[in-house]
Amino acid sequence: MASGISAVVSRPLPLFGAAAILRVGMLLYGLWQDANSPLKYTDIDYLVFTDAARFTFSSSSAWGAEASPYTRETYRYTPLLAWLMYPTTWSGTFWFSWGKMLFAAADLLAGYLVMLVLQQHLHMPTDRACRFASIWLLNPMVATISTRGSSEGLLGVLVTALLWAVLERRVVLAGALLGFGVHFKIYPFVYAPAVIWWMDVEHMRMAPVASTTPQDRERKAESEAMSDRTLMQKAKGFITTDRVKLTLVSLATFAGLNAAMYMIYGMPFLAHTFLHHVTRIDHRHNFSPYNVLLYMTSVPGATSAAPLRIESIAFLPQLLLSTVLIPLVGAKKDLPTTMLAQTFAFVTFNKVCTSQYFLWYMVFLPLYLPRSSLLHRPATRGVPALALWVAGQALWLQQGYELEFLGHSTFVPGLWAAAQTFFLVNCWILGIIVEDLALPGQ
Amino acid sequence: MRQRITFFHRHEHGIEPTSLKIKGRSISGPDLIAAREHRVTLSLDELPVELQELLRESHELHIRWSPSLSHDTLGPWNSRLPPGLHVFYTPQNDGVVDTGRLCAMLQTAFGEIDCSTTTESFTKLPNDRFSHSTAFQYFHTLDSLSPLSNYISQHACASDDSKCKSWAKELTKAASFDFSYDTISHVVKTTAVWPEGRQTLSIDSYPDHRTEVGILTPDAPARLESYELGVAGLLTVLGEDTKPSPVLFAFPARHKDADASFSSKFLKPLGLHPTLQLQFPTSKPPIDDAYCSLHAYLTLPRTIFADKYQLDDELFLASKNLTALRYISQPVDLEAPDYAMKLWGSSVLLELQPPKKESNQPWTAEIPLHLRYLSPAQGGYRSISVPWPAVFWACTAEDGTKFPSNPFDRINLGYDGLFGPRTLFWHVDPKPEAGGSLIHKVPVPVLDLDKSAWISMGTAAVVLTGFMFVVWKLLSVYLRTGYSSQTSKKEAEKKKQ
Repeated sequence: MASGISAVVSRPLPLFGAAAILRVGMLLYGLWQDANSPLKYTDIDYLVFTDAARFTFSSSSAWGAEASPYTRETYRYTPLLAWLMYPTTWSGTFWFSWGKMLFAAADLLAGYLVMLVLQQHLHMPTDRACRFASIWLLNPMVATISTRGSSEGLLGVLVTALLWAVLERRVVLAGALLGFGVHFKIYPFVYAPAVIWWMDVEHMRMAPVASTTPQDRERKAESEAMSDRTLMQKAKGFITTDRVKLTLVSLATFAGLNAAMYMIYGMPFLAHTFLHHVTRIDHRHNFSPYNVLLYMTSVPGATSAAPLRIESIAFLPQLLLSTVLIPLVGAKKDLPTTMLAQTFAFVTFNKVCTSQYFLWYMVFLPLYLPRSSLLHRPATRGVPALALWVAGQALWLQQGYELEFLGHSTFVPGLWAAAQTFFLVNCWILGIIVEDLALPGQ
Repeated sequence: MRQRITFFHRHEHGIEPTSLKIKGRSISGPDLIAAREHRVTLSLDELPVELQELLRESHELHIRWSPSLSHDTLGPWNSRLPPGLHVFYTPQNDGVVDTGRLCAMLQTAFGEIDCSTTTESFTKLPNDRFSHSTAFQYFHTLDSLSPLSNYISQHACASDDSKCKSWAKELTKAASFDFSYDTISHVVKTTAVWPEGRQTLSIDSYPDHRTEVGILTPDAPARLESYELGVAGLLTVLGEDTKPSPVLFAFPARHKDADASFSSKFLKPLGLHPTLQLQFPTSKPPIDDAYCSLHAYLTLPRTIFADKYQLDDELFLASKNLTALRYISQPVDLEAPDYAMKLWGSSVLLELQPPKKESNQPWTAEIPLHLRYLSPAQGGYRSISVPWPAVFWACTAEDGTKFPSNPFDRINLGYDGLFGPRTLFWHVDPKPEAGGSLIHKVPVPVLDLDKSAWISMGTAAVVLTGFMFVVWKLLSVYLRTGYSSQTSKKEAEKKKQ
């Protein structure tokens, strides 16, 4: 039995076959449950996407307005997502499930990219790479979220593709993916400083394909001269063609997509995709440590008594860690682990946090775990980390259940304390990930 | 000014026509066990100045009030509304920016009401379906008409007019109060109905104003249609008639009593997504030979709402004994907390699905609702008021049936505009437990202010601890290995050697 499982997860074809079968099975089960039970398997968000697609492609909108995905209330995504959902507007259950198939396929593609990075850049033999990729590919949480129709799988592809493109030194592709990712879900902007910091002449010189071009020699000479230069020279040396290229391509992609969407959909596009995140008050209970505080301070006139409005500077620790300190210390040592730590910090310190956000960092786990102390010191690191991560959520969910379903006022101390506990657990795990950055290179 | 006073009594409570004394402009007689309607029709210049100003800006204004204590209906006054204050309004010009005159007037007349301007606090009604509904709607739970009674006796009645003042005082016991104005008729009609009970029969009329007094009882002539109401009785125009004239007539009535009841309760535990359960002792429609469907009309204050997307799935609806969401006012914000909103709330029309078999089995329908976050409070809970819905069978009358306005017709009730002109409403009586109110009090969990003084500092301390811990880890990595890659460092060391 154990050897059977090991055989499945050690070779690419059975692994991807199993991952695909898992998703097809869950998708079919979901269709059955939706058709036979008043409790739906399909995520509310999926109905938002498909409604938005219908509004986008309806020839004449019922409201007499322009066809726009934002006609659907609570659609807060780029119109590109609604475009991707176009086939769901065709009749029949098969086409209605198109989006879920797309998200599930995105899972597999992200898994494939993880495999590529493991094999080509972390120089891992195929069987071992397969076993680590299976953490993502055969993860029931990942498969459930995608087959229920949540779009996080697409993010998984975008960020793994970005990582792969960077490690392959495909600067233009990386820039385009970065710009697209930020347009799609904003948060991938945290990867920009890490990628740019990583792209020094040394890293760019160590091209994936061994070859010595005149350009490489030039870069090598540049890097050798580096060590003895002044700060001013160093700053000048920081600005390389590749870095400029990445910056320009990503900005152009981001701005170009936004301009195009603004031209088609106007102000509602800006309002729902971007400005909403500025004005939202996030008062509903969620995993974020700021949650109860934000509920309290969102009430008009409630803040005057507070000596310090810490919620208004909540972005500081979050952005300091995820866009400055972690990339600065880690990017050059280990880009995948740095991106994991950045995402982990971004999610942990965010003003709003739901379990879908956990997928954002999970996609990096197969790249980090092989050399992590979580795996090498399971008794003191790995097992307690997993147990505490799960227990922190369980504690919060129990309090949330009492509030949401039993109507008990558990905001304080229960829900607040649970969120703080979960936050501190996450900080401890983040500390381990950061510490592992100092491990000898691969 | 014109007045019309109508008593409606059961057969067994009839009085002898000879016992009525008509003298000049007054009528008196023995006490009656009856329901009573008092309609006063006024021209604009008979109204308080601020009301005149408001109405000159209005195209239509209809106010309906229904009490929170249940009462039986009798005679032609069968229509039901959720308890509270309902306002239907169309401004004179669409373009005019509302300065809050209507809200201010409502606050003056009805007491503390959460209303700022029509644009902010009112919901827009659909104007594409039937032309007879107004442009805006507003609702507020309002237990008592005492503020209105005070306002009328102080500002509308002349200081020496004791008849007007006693009428105003009686309003506090009314079972319904309607106020209607439109620019076409250019008059204001106020109609108050008092439930069945002992009524004193002693009416003096004002000189030069027409006052009509009717004493009616149900009557069923041979060829009465199911949508008609037949009445018999005595009519007297004070000052003109010396004796009451007997009348016998029938008129089409859109609102009828279905002779059935329902009760409403929230399922426990309530949570943040409470379910309103409507219980029916029977699923039998009021008439057999017409197409009838059972509806519930809800006016939900903004603290609680229905999610139209949730009420879109047939399986889900069927599991709750619902057929479809027929109407929901727009917009309904699905995310905003109560304290970030100014809109009064939302009105909802749901078609219910009684069990298929025409059995007399009791059954229930369940309406899933959602609570908004409310502002924090001491003790951790706030109570909100949710009115019982109005429940009725909507039956389609035969082709060609006309509903010319009958003398007791009541229109602009919120739901009537959502149905076609040939619809008959058979009202199902709300039956709370003895002495019970038609308003649910729902406890909503909120942040406990007593325990939240340290939230700000506590959160800051925890976040800072977590942040400093991670920074310390980063610093220790930096101090041991710098920021450059391990391999290049090793290479550099090798080079030095």
